[in-house]
Amino acid sequence: MDLRFSEQQEILKKMARDFLTTECPKALVRELEKDEKGYSPALWKKMAELGWMGLVIPENYEGMGYGFRDLTVLVEEIGRNILPGPLLCTIISTFPILENGTDEQKKDFLPKIARGELILTPALLEAEGTLDASGIALKATAKGDDFVINGTKMFVEMAHVADYFVLAARTKTGTSEDGITLFLVDARSKGVTCEVIPTIAHDKLCEVKFKDVSVPRKNVLGQVDKGWPIIVKLIEKGAVIRCAESLGGIQTCVEMTVAYSKERVQYDRPIGAFQALQHIMADMWISMETCKYLIYEAAWMAAEGMPCSREVSMAKAYVNEAYKNVSKWAVRLHGGIGTSGEHDIPLYYRRAKAADIAYGGTDWHRELVAQKIGLT
Amino acid sequence: MDFALTDEQIAHRKEFFKACSELESQKPASFVGFESIFENDECWQFHRSCAKEYARRGWLSLAWPAEYGGTGAMMDRVMFGEARGYHGVPGLDPFGVQMLAPTLLAAANEDVKKRFLPSIANAEIFWCELWSEPNAGSDLAALTCTAIKKGNEYVINGQKTWNSGAHKADWAFGVFKSDPNGRKHHNLAFLLLDMKTPGITVRPIPYMNGATIYNEVYFDDVHVPAENIVGQENGGWAVVNTLAGFERSALDEIMAMLRGLETLVEFCNQTKRNGQPLSRDPLVRNRLAQLACELEAARTLAYRIADLQNRGEMALMDASALKVFASEFGERFAFTATDILGPYGQVKHSKWAPLNGLWENMYHECFVFTISMGTNEIQRNIIAWYGMGLPRMK
Repeated sequence: MDLRFSEQQEILKKMARDFLTTECPKALVRELEKDEKGYSPALWKKMAELGWMGLVIPENYEGMGYGFRDLTVLVEEIGRNILPGPLLCTIISTFPILENGTDEQKKDFLPKIARGELILTPALLEAEGTLDASGIALKATAKGDDFVINGTKMFVEMAHVADYFVLAARTKTGTSEDGITLFLVDARSKGVTCEVIPTIAHDKLCEVKFKDVSVPRKNVLGQVDKGWPIIVKLIEKGAVIRCAESLGGIQTCVEMTVAYSKERVQYDRPIGAFQALQHIMADMWISMETCKYLIYEAAWMAAEGMPCSREVSMAKAYVNEAYKNVSKWAVRLHGGIGTSGEHDIPLYYRRAKAADIAYGGTDWHRELVAQKIGLT
Repeated sequence: MDFALTDEQIAHRKEFFKACSELESQKPASFVGFESIFENDECWQFHRSCAKEYARRGWLSLAWPAEYGGTGAMMDRVMFGEARGYHGVPGLDPFGVQMLAPTLLAAANEDVKKRFLPSIANAEIFWCELWSEPNAGSDLAALTCTAIKKGNEYVINGQKTWNSGAHKADWAFGVFKSDPNGRKHHNLAFLLLDMKTPGITVRPIPYMNGATIYNEVYFDDVHVPAENIVGQENGGWAVVNTLAGFERSALDEIMAMLRGLETLVEFCNQTKRNGQPLSRDPLVRNRLAQLACELEAARTLAYRIADLQNRGEMALMDASALKVFASEFGERFAFTATDILGPYGQVKHSKWAPLNGLWENMYHECFVFTISMGTNEIQRNIIAWYGMGLPRMK
C-alpha cells in the first residue's frame, strides 16, 4: 500500500496546474460560456501538443502511454481550474475504442485523437434521461453493408463541434440490455441535426436528431446487439473521470473560501475567526478528504482492471452530493459577492450540478450500490 | 498510488481474521458491542480472555520496538483492528494497549517502560483513564484535581469524571494539577496509579440506557510513588498531547459498522413488510446504499491514515477528520437502522429484539464516539486552526 502520488504523477499534476493557470484563466472560462463553440481551438491545439488527448493512448498509436490513474491526476487539475470544452468527452469516448475496437478502428481513430484532430463524444441518453438500457430507443436497422439510424439523442456533450459520436442504438426491438449496439457515427453524416440545449454549466449539451443516417457496418464498436457491457464500462470510466474533476473543484472551493475568510473583516476581525464559520469550513475540509480516497480507490481499481462497479458507484453517489454541498457552502460563506455572476465561486457551484448528472446521478448510483451490497 | 496489500500482509490479515472469528463464536449473548465489557462481569471476563489469547500470539505489542518484545509492523496493528472490529470481539484494552503503551514508548523513562510495558503486552494489567472533571471537559487543562509532590510521593485530592471502566480496571493513568500556582499547561503531572490504592472511591454514573459505562472517581489523600510519573515534573500537558495522537483507531469501529451493515442487509432480505421483503422497498435500498457509500469513504480515509502512520507520520488532521466523520456516521447509522426496524427498533436486547438489540443499543451508545476522545466540535476546531490556519479562539 502506498497512497501517495508517484513521482511521474506529481510532475503531471504540477505541469497541468501551471499550464491551466496561465492558459485558461477564469476570464476565458467566462468568455467560453457565451461562445458558440464553447471551447478554444487555440488552447485545444496547445493541449494536443502536451499530449493530453492521447495521454492514455498507447505509444504505438502516437499516444503518451500513461495509465488511467495518471489520467485522473490530470483531470483533478482540470476540475480545480475549470477547462471548458471537449477534452473529457473525447477521452471518455476513447476507452471503448481502446478496449473493444478492431485493429482497423484503432488505426483509424487513435492516432488522430492523440494528435488532437478528432473530437469524440458519447451519445447515450435520450428523451427519458435515464442511463438504464431501457432508456435507449433510437433504432439502427441493418440495410446491406450499412445500418440506418433513426431517433433522437439528448444531452450529448459538445455534439455541435464533435467529429464522431460513440452512439448507443437499439438493433433489436425491446427494452432489455440485449440488442443494444455501439456505433462510431460521423457527426457530419447526412441526416444529423444538432441543437445546443441551454444548461446550468453552459457545457454545450445538445439534442441530436438522426433521420435515416447511414453508418457503415465497419463502424460498429464491439459486436452487434452486445454493446451494453461496453456502455457499462464507458459509464464507469466516465463516472470516475467526472469524480476526479469534481474533487479538483471541491479543493478550489475549500481553498478560496478559507482564503476569503482570512481577508474579509467584519466586527473588526476576519470572519474566519468566527467559530460558526470555522466549523462549516472544517466540514467542507472533511468532505474533501473523504472524497479523495474514495475516488482514488475507484480510480486505482479501474486502472488495475479490477471489477470496480461497486466502488465506482459508491464514489459517484458520494462525490455528487459532496461537490454540490461544498460549493454551496463556498457561495454562502462568500456572502453577497459569492452570488455574483462576476465571481469565480458560482462557476464551481453550477458545474457541481452538471457533474452530478453526468454518468449517473446520486440515486441512480445508489441503486447500483444497493444491488452490490447484496440487497435482493 | 497503490491500495494493494503485500502477500505477507494478506497472510497476516487472514490470521487475524481467523483468530477473531473463532473468538466471536465464544461471545456471551449479553455482549452487544465493545462497551458491553463495562456493563457486566460475563463480558468483562470475555474481554480478558480474548486479551490473553492475543497476548499469547504477541498481538498486544504489535509494532513495538523489538527490545520491548514487539513484533510485526504498523500495518499489522491496523489489520488486527479490522479483524476485531469486523468480528465484534473485545480483548484490546483501548487504554493500556492503544493509548498508554505507545505513549510510554514515546515519553516515559526506561524504568517506567520496563515496569509497565510487559504487563500490558501480557494482558495482566487492564487500564482506565482519569481525564475529565466536572469543570474540565474539552478545556482539559482547566482541571483542578491536585497531585502535590511530598517527598517520594504525589498526594492526590479531588474528583475525576466520565471515566470508562474504573469499576473494572486494575490501574489508571491520569493527569493532575501538580503546581496549583503554575501557569496553565505548565502545571500538570501525568501519573500512573494502582486503582486499589487507599483513598480512591469509584461511583458509577448510570448511562442513559441503564448501563454502567462511566464513573466518577474521588480521591481523598491518595498516595502515588513519584517514580510513577511519565514525562517531566509539571510537564504532563506534553504527555497528554502525545497520548491524544494514539486514541482509539477508527478502523476497528468502521469494520464493526461494515459488519453491522451486512447483517442489516441480510435482515432486510429476510424480513417481510407489506407483503414483500424490506429489501425491495426503494427507500430502504436508497438509505442503505447511502450508508454504504459513506462507510466506504470512511474506510478509504482510514487506510490513508494507516498508510501515513506506517511511514512514521502522525496524520493528525486526517485523524480528526475521520473521527468526526465516522462517529457522526455512527449516529446516522443508528437512526436509519432503528427506522428500518420499525416498532422493533425500540426493543432492548431480549427475545423480541431483532439483531440482538444492537441498534437500540447503538441509538444510545453512538455518543461514546462523538463526545469522547475530544468532542467533534473540538476536532473541528483543530481542523480549522491547524489544518486550515484559521485564527485561534482566545
